[in-house]
Amino acid sequence: MSVLELREITKVFPGVVANDHVSLSLEEGEIIALLGENGAGKTTLMNVVYGLLSCDGGELLVDGRPVKIKSPRHAIDLGIGMVHQHFMLVQPLTVTENIVLGHEPARFGVIDFATARKKVLEISARYGLKVDPDSRIMDLSVGMQQRVEILKALYQGARILILDEPTAVLTPQEVRELFAVVRSLVNEGLSVVFITHKLEEVMAVADRILVMRDGRLVGETRPSDTDTVGLARMMVGRDVVLRVEKAPRACGDTVLEVDGLHVKDDRGLEAVRGVALSVRGGEIVAIAGVDGNGQREIVESIVGLRKPTSGTIRLKGEDITHASARSSIEAGVSHIPEDRHRRGLILEFTIAENLMLGDHRLAPYSTRGLMRPTAVTAMAKRRIVDYDVRTPSERVLASALSGGNQQKVVVAREIGRDPELLVAAQPTRGLDVGAIEFVHRQILKERDSGKAVLLVSLELEEISALADRILVIYEGRIVKEFAAGEADDETLGFYMTGGGGSKLAPETGATGARGEGER
Amino acid sequence: MLGDILTPDLFASALRMATPLALAAIGGTLCERSGVVNIALEGIMLIGAFAAAAAGLATGSGWLGLLAAIAAGVAVSAIHAFSSINLKSDQVVSGTAINILALGVTGFLMELLYGHPGTTDPVPQMLRPVFHFPNGGEGVLGTVWTWINSIVFSHTPIVYLAIAVAVIAQWAMYRTRWGLRLRALGEHPRAADTVGINVSRGRWIAVMMSGALGGMAGANLVLEQVGSFTENMTNGRGFIALAANIFGRWTPVGSYLASLLFGFADALQIKLQLFRAEIDIPPQFFLMLPYVLTVVVLAGVIGRAVSPAAVGVPYEKG
Repeated sequence: MSVLELREITKVFPGVVANDHVSLSLEEGEIIALLGENGAGKTTLMNVVYGLLSCDGGELLVDGRPVKIKSPRHAIDLGIGMVHQHFMLVQPLTVTENIVLGHEPARFGVIDFATARKKVLEISARYGLKVDPDSRIMDLSVGMQQRVEILKALYQGARILILDEPTAVLTPQEVRELFAVVRSLVNEGLSVVFITHKLEEVMAVADRILVMRDGRLVGETRPSDTDTVGLARMMVGRDVVLRVEKAPRACGDTVLEVDGLHVKDDRGLEAVRGVALSVRGGEIVAIAGVDGNGQREIVESIVGLRKPTSGTIRLKGEDITHASARSSIEAGVSHIPEDRHRRGLILEFTIAENLMLGDHRLAPYSTRGLMRPTAVTAMAKRRIVDYDVRTPSERVLASALSGGNQQKVVVAREIGRDPELLVAAQPTRGLDVGAIEFVHRQILKERDSGKAVLLVSLELEEISALADRILVIYEGRIVKEFAAGEADDETLGFYMTGGGGSKLAPETGATGARGEGER
Repeated sequence: MLGDILTPDLFASALRMATPLALAAIGGTLCERSGVVNIALEGIMLIGAFAAAAAGLATGSGWLGLLAAIAAGVAVSAIHAFSSINLKSDQVVSGTAINILALGVTGFLMELLYGHPGTTDPVPQMLRPVFHFPNGGEGVLGTVWTWINSIVFSHTPIVYLAIAVAVIAQWAMYRTRWGLRLRALGEHPRAADTVGINVSRGRWIAVMMSGALGGMAGANLVLEQVGSFTENMTNGRGFIALAANIFGRWTPVGSYLASLLFGFADALQIKLQLFRAEIDIPPQFFLMLPYVLTVVVLAGVIGRAVSPAAVGVPYEKG
């Protein structure tokens, strides 16, 4: 008997059918993956199961009994737990307080913290999810926070665990740990629904794969019966090129030249310790490294968002070391920031306004300090077509777009400006395969038209797909340089974690996680 | 002269002056911890004061005056709760509207009930000090006793009530189920919702508690300090209370201690006015003291004090 069964679930939002007669079942001790592009309706479906949304049609069965789940509380009582993509944790509260919240052991309303703490430790030991019950959430790394979320669901008595895009925020090590945890949960008799758009993860962890597209269930398969190419085709509905074809490079003059760069991070510690690099026209230079090794600070220095402590940055021979963000744009530097919500877009602005940002003071968008709406609209309409932004109109707020389309808006603005140098920091973070392919094509187009591209990425796959030259960064220094195809992932990983005989080698491995924790 | 200023009754007066601020500040703390900004405290306090005077005059009982003030405070806060939580309107606008409404309503009711603006007749029964110990005695011990007696044992009921409220609220906020859920509501209401906590209900309760405390603060002004109601008698105390709440870092005991600081400034300015002849400074200058202190304290603290993350944001389900 299935522990969870969905029959013909339908959910309609104004103008969109988010779930169109979706049926699926989950067996005890099984891991199913719900695979689909952003906006395919995976999260909506699970929010219906968790009682956060009500469905407009269909039937839900838990342990074979039909139920109407009206609230998360009700779902929890039925043994359904959900770890949301955006964590539902109260930052200033402790781990224990977060886990017991809503189900506190108490006598006459007074919380029995000793019992609460003991229970947390018990569950934590039973499932091998180590965590300090007294830490505050805000002091924990993202991976740790996720662990607390899982513990919270287990504490509430979950037998069915829904994980919504659980790996989106994790480092590769943390992903491996998570998979181990998921397997141990299943061994203890839990059933897991794993929502993701990452193909390799599905292959690695799922027993059964259900693919969603445009609100409908379009296929079901098993990892043994398919491969990533087949999954991608099912998910996107057409053949997807997982690795974009690249023309041989034709290098031009040096565009970007960085020398002896030293930069401090937000805490005032030296994050970049003497970096020299150059990018020529028509080539893509990628900086590979574990997050938090100075990549962010290098990028911010080049685009004028952070003042270097020493060193020089030249663009076509012109010194832009101390240029502001504005003069850096004017000099011809475009920037696809790593966090499109924080720096790439103003979510409360329309698509047209976002497409104009940075050029808003220039003709034809404004003359003598007055905006020219017709020029802005015309430009926006053109770019929406050119960059395939899926939106009903240019007047839609950026916040209403899916992640992939938001990123297309950023890419359209930054490349549409026709820069000399494109600095792309994690340009495909959180995107699904279709959108990744699109962004990769755009970046390659820039290169092929003779522009210089500096790419920062944490994904080795992305780096080997795009880069002409690879610089490996570790603890604020470029420790190794490779030409495209010269090094495999193992070799890159070796240098990225300090294996290159750097003097600072001893503290490797946990760098990324620790950096998060100290924030 | 310093000896004439720093007398036991200066400190006793500081405690009295701090009481309405502290009650309203703790009200603000509870309300903001739940995620609702309550700048309506000024108006709630004013309506509470009017209700205390009206009920006191009508029934002849101070205690019934206090009950009426609490009831009126809760009723007014319900308006704020409804517009902020159910209608999801801007909480600052709603609070400002209530403040203006309170000025108008109390002035109108003055005319309607008593036929004149300004000040009501004195209430027949004020709330008297709880203890009656004689001052003085021989020597150093006598002096010490006089200090203790004035500062600790000379007060009216609501002054002690405010201290009790501060301690109990602090304990409840950090030790009880209600307190944990309250803190979660103001930080991450969706997280609370996903574990089955009713966000609207939790916020309603917190706003109404702040209304009760604001009403109590108004009752203190009329029934324990002045003895009658005067139009706009709160005179910005509701806003100083909000400053005290911030200075106290959104904790009940912190709010109380911050109020004590503002109360001391108030007591000091009253005292200094008595020495007008010796100190050649206009009395208006001293009247500024508590307000200047508010500005200085906020300038120093704001930015460093971290407010509840979700304060002021209506909760949207789904």
